[in-house]
Amino acid sequence: MQSSSAINYDYTVAKYFTVATIVLGIVGMTVGVIIAFQLAFPELNNLFGEYGTFGRLRPIHTDGVAFGFTVSGVMATWYYVGQRVLKVSMAESKFLMFIGKLQFWLYVVLVASVVVSLLLGITTSKEYAEFEWPIDILVVIVWVLWGVSIFGLIGIRREKVLYISVWYYIATFLGVAMLYVFNNMEVPTYFVSGMGDWYHSVSMYAGSNDAMVQWWYGHNAVAFVFTVPIIAMIYYFLPKESGQPIFSYKLSLLSFWGLMFVYLWAGGHHLLYSTVPDWVQTMGSIFSIILILPSWGSAINMLLTMKGEWGQLRENPLIKFYVLASTFYMLSTLEGPIQAIKSVNALAHFTDWIPGHVHDGTLGWVGFMIIGAIFHMAPRMFKREIFSKKLIETQFWLQTTGIVMYFTSMWIAGITQGMMWRATDQYGNLSYSFIDTVEVLHPYWTLRAVGGLFYLIGVFMWAYNMYKTATSSKAIEKEPQYASPMA
Amino acid sequence: MNWLNDNVNLLTLIGAAVIIILTIGIVGKYIKQIKNDKATGELTGDTWDGVGEFSNPLPTGWALAFLGTIAWALWYALMGYPVGTFSQIGQYNQEVSDYTKRFESKWANPDHETLMGMGEGVFLVQCAPCHGVTGEGMNGKAADLTKRGTEALIVKTVLKGSKGQGYPLGEMPAGLLDKDGATAVAAYIVQGLAKDGKSKHPELVEKGKTLFATCAACHGADGKGMGGSAPSLANYGKENFIAAVLEHGKKGSIGIMPAFNDGRLTKVQKDAVGTYVESLSE
Amino acid sequence: MFHWLEKNPFFFAVGVFLVIAYAGIVTIVPDFMESARPLKGTKPYTALQIAGRQIYIANGCNTCHSQLIRPFKSETDRYGKYSLSGEYAYDRPFLWGSRRIGPDLHRVGNYRTTDWNENHMLDPEAVVPGSVMPKYGFMFKKSIDFKTAYAEAYTVKKVFNVPYDKPGMPKLGSYEQAKKAAFTQAGKIVADMRNQGVKDAYKKGDIKEIVAIIAYLNSLK
Ligand code: HEC
Ligand code: HEC
Ligand code: HEC
Ligand code: HEM
Ligand code: HEM
Ligand SMILES: [Ca+2]
Ligand SMILES: [Ca+2]
Ligand SMILES: [Cu+2]
Repeated sequence: MQSSSAINYDYTVAKYFTVATIVLGIVGMTVGVIIAFQLAFPELNNLFGEYGTFGRLRPIHTDGVAFGFTVSGVMATWYYVGQRVLKVSMAESKFLMFIGKLQFWLYVVLVASVVVSLLLGITTSKEYAEFEWPIDILVVIVWVLWGVSIFGLIGIRREKVLYISVWYYIATFLGVAMLYVFNNMEVPTYFVSGMGDWYHSVSMYAGSNDAMVQWWYGHNAVAFVFTVPIIAMIYYFLPKESGQPIFSYKLSLLSFWGLMFVYLWAGGHHLLYSTVPDWVQTMGSIFSIILILPSWGSAINMLLTMKGEWGQLRENPLIKFYVLASTFYMLSTLEGPIQAIKSVNALAHFTDWIPGHVHDGTLGWVGFMIIGAIFHMAPRMFKREIFSKKLIETQFWLQTTGIVMYFTSMWIAGITQGMMWRATDQYGNLSYSFIDTVEVLHPYWTLRAVGGLFYLIGVFMWAYNMYKTATSSKAIEKEPQYASPMA
Repeated sequence: MNWLNDNVNLLTLIGAAVIIILTIGIVGKYIKQIKNDKATGELTGDTWDGVGEFSNPLPTGWALAFLGTIAWALWYALMGYPVGTFSQIGQYNQEVSDYTKRFESKWANPDHETLMGMGEGVFLVQCAPCHGVTGEGMNGKAADLTKRGTEALIVKTVLKGSKGQGYPLGEMPAGLLDKDGATAVAAYIVQGLAKDGKSKHPELVEKGKTLFATCAACHGADGKGMGGSAPSLANYGKENFIAAVLEHGKKGSIGIMPAFNDGRLTKVQKDAVGTYVESLSE
Repeated sequence: MFHWLEKNPFFFAVGVFLVIAYAGIVTIVPDFMESARPLKGTKPYTALQIAGRQIYIANGCNTCHSQLIRPFKSETDRYGKYSLSGEYAYDRPFLWGSRRIGPDLHRVGNYRTTDWNENHMLDPEAVVPGSVMPKYGFMFKKSIDFKTAYAEAYTVKKVFNVPYDKPGMPKLGSYEQAKKAAFTQAGKIVADMRNQGVKDAYKKGDIKEIVAIIAYLNSLK
């Protein structure tokens, strides 16, 4: 049936996770828009009693987009890309099929329990690791199942050499596994004392030690959720959609091993001027600067892959998503290192500039790659054309506007607030009371919320386009080799 | 104040500019190549699902920059700022001591105007969260400082008593005198004890002086508080009167005023905020 | 060599693992023992304060408030002395936060008081016009979960040798004793409060969340 290969790939699990990606993208980002508006209009905190305050909702946003939207996207693309670059179908192994489905359904249970528990205020407070121990156990099970699926598929592969994307998926699996387990070592209090809530626990680490473990994890959670698997995606979807060979194997190689080695050292940049030892901080700062190059290596490799393909960039909205994603990846991996310079961090830390950095990375790089990847998969999974090219174009420009509004407002807000916190008058007194520094942010917070809303509307457009593609768009006979067909 | 005098501000702004310029510049360069160049090179021969790869060499600029950052890092960690020699607390001590030197040479003997300006600044940051920016105490949530040092307040204190500053004599009981008596004593305190004051009821000063015997039991015949056993009324309405509140805080009948003795305010700043607060009731 | 690894997934994975595990071992392990020692005078939280801390965590106060005063003059002027590692020795988990939508709270007990916090938690905007902090009226109605607070104190004592019941340290004792002590401690706070509902509840032996969270905030010094 296909010209490109004789294998009949089975996309059942990929489709499941595609649905999850879209649904959780909507949930996570809707909550993001809500909390953004809450800062601009605080009355919005009181709509759902204790369950609707900023403090309760924020982790639902961060975990919702990181472990909901992004991780589902990673799974959806793995269950798609994995088969294709290893040249083996899920249908060939009942066992792997079973594991994939089991992983998905347990993941659904996991997501539901996370949302409920966070709403109820059941949290350990450590960022991106808020879940209490029973949920941690579920996380580990889901992750191990994914590992079985990766190595199972690799075990029965036909393609001897692992493609670059597979390197990155493997690294994602190993990195998250190691980090998650160490950061979540906790002692359930019920089992020691025999009373109180059964799910409550205390951290194995205290104070500065806890902070070190947390940010060794936290930084690399960013690395191994928002970076490594997204690189896996771009290495497949950009050349595949454009039909261009990767610019340089050597650059891929050095970027990969460079990133792996350097990334883990950089966590100290979350702890600058804290009470962890000075040398740990200095290491974090230095390695962050080095990190620019392995990061940029991948992005440059992608941009150079498109050499001479201006026509595609103009004509194909998916290529636009990928190229802009690379650009935002470069922006945020230069911004991060600059923020990791001690003197800059002295000002930037704790301010809105950090969410600014976060979102040029996550909206521009992570979001655009996942959206673009799933658009590419859609015609091949559903055997139909993408429903509307025009809608993708509109979505692209709306979301791009949203991102620019988001990060510019947060840059200005953060730098302004940081300078105001430090400002002194002619007598050497602090110039501003804390609330002065909050009030100036109102216009920027409003602007950010509106920018976020634009992005969210784009996500709804994507969801609609995907729904139409899956259900009622024109059927295609033959799978396209490269550019995705769209009406 | 000049924002750019601060190195941290300056570096931050430069950093932000560098992010934008470098990203746009370098991406721009590649966009140009997308527009005008052609993909060339030898294929490695491997393909995965139709995706091939070239065996092009590393881009020179990238490779040099990578080596450059590694060299810089080694230099930084081993020679420039050897790991283990930097101490952030040392840096802090330096910052504070530099500041103190500058401060002391500039404001060694602050005049009234300086104290007022300085005091207002301190007040707005440290005190306004409770007393409000105007100092009137936000509808009774904290003391109304616009009434401080006034005779009326003395009257009120005598009628209602006072507690919470932690003086050795503890609480001052309510109702030691009736309203008339209290008014007289207040006149005496303002115009007799605190030498330079002017009472609204000069005719009552003499009577107040007699009645002050009741108070002398605790505040001393001279009103100076018997060596710190009770507040010194001779300072009533002066800035150092407030210094005492800042030292001890006050847990009174309105609420609790925290002490400011954790080192956040220097002596000069305390005097300054005292001067400012006293001025509120004029 | 790399191309060989790319054909041998097992060794590839081992290689990746070694490369990423390396940094963690070098940076984290050596300082582990050293940086967790309490300062002289640092004391573990009382059970009531732990109850308050749990409420702080459950409501994500740490999403807006840091508890880490960095060694800059602009911070020590605003918040008090810079934070020291040993002060956090009993903080499980640490609550440094990574955002300051609101001010740092590491020493807020020095300059905010029971009655102020009571007014502020009920309606921040009424105390600090322009505040974006949510109202926490529900804390005046909801009762604390003292069992879980005690369970946590008991656990850290047993498992991590937190020095409860040692000379000069807070008493923990049995559940009944701890409950009684918490009740006494809460009484002092309730006495400084205005809210009649909270006072009435206290008389009936019921401690509201607001009391515990104020106990915790007051302890931050
Ligand atoms: C039993 C001892 C005692 C007697 C008698 C007494 N005082 Fe006091 N007074 C005190 C103490 C102790 C304080 C500090 C209370 C506190 O902590 O605020 C005080 C405070 C004051 C204050 C307020 C100072 C401030 O910081 O606001 C005034 C005014 C005052 N007394 C005036 C008088 C006058 C007038 C009389 C006589 C009618 C008098 N006192 C009699 C013990 C006494
Ligand atoms: C956390 C809230 C809070 C802060 C911060 C605060 N105050 Fe107060 N202050 C109070 C309250 C409450 C009272 C009333 C105490 C009472 O009499 O019940 C008070 C009372 C006072 C009094 C009157 C004391 C007396 O003898 O009656 C003075 C003077 C004062 N404050 C000055 C200041 C100054 C100056 C600052 C800042 C440097 C400041 N306060 C900061 C809450 C605060
Ligand atoms: C949406 C963000 C947000 C959340 C969530 C939040 N706060 Fe705040 N908080 C603020 C802001 C902004 C201020 C400064 C303005 C003010 O004082 O109200 C503040 C001020 C404070 C202050 C006064 C500190 C000072 O130095 O003046 C305390 C105490 C406080 N918050 C405690 C809490 C507690 C406890 C919680 C959780 C139950 C909490 N906050 C949740 C934003 C928040
Ligand atoms: C070279 C690469 C990068 C470096 C050196 C870097 C550095 C930093 C620094 C210094 C901070 C601020 C820490 C603080 O002061 O609080 C930060 C925060 C953050 N960065 Fe990056 N960054 C990089 C790339 C990225 C990318 C690509 C993403 C996501 C797509 C990302 C996501 C985040 C997130 C989510 C935070 C917030 C962490 C928190 O919760 O506090 N970073 N990064
Ligand atoms: C509709 C778009 C979005 C909006 C409006 C939005 C809004 C917000 C807001 C208001 C915050 C809190 C910032 C603060 O502390 O002040 C936040 C934090 C965060 N968001 Fe989003 N968000 C959006 C999309 C995303 C996406 C797609 C991702 C990831 C893929 C993401 C990841 C994060 C992370 C990691 C943080 C925590 C940052 C930190 O702690 O520094 N967001 N977001
Ligand atoms: Ca956990
Ligand atoms: Ca954060
Ligand atoms: Cu980081």
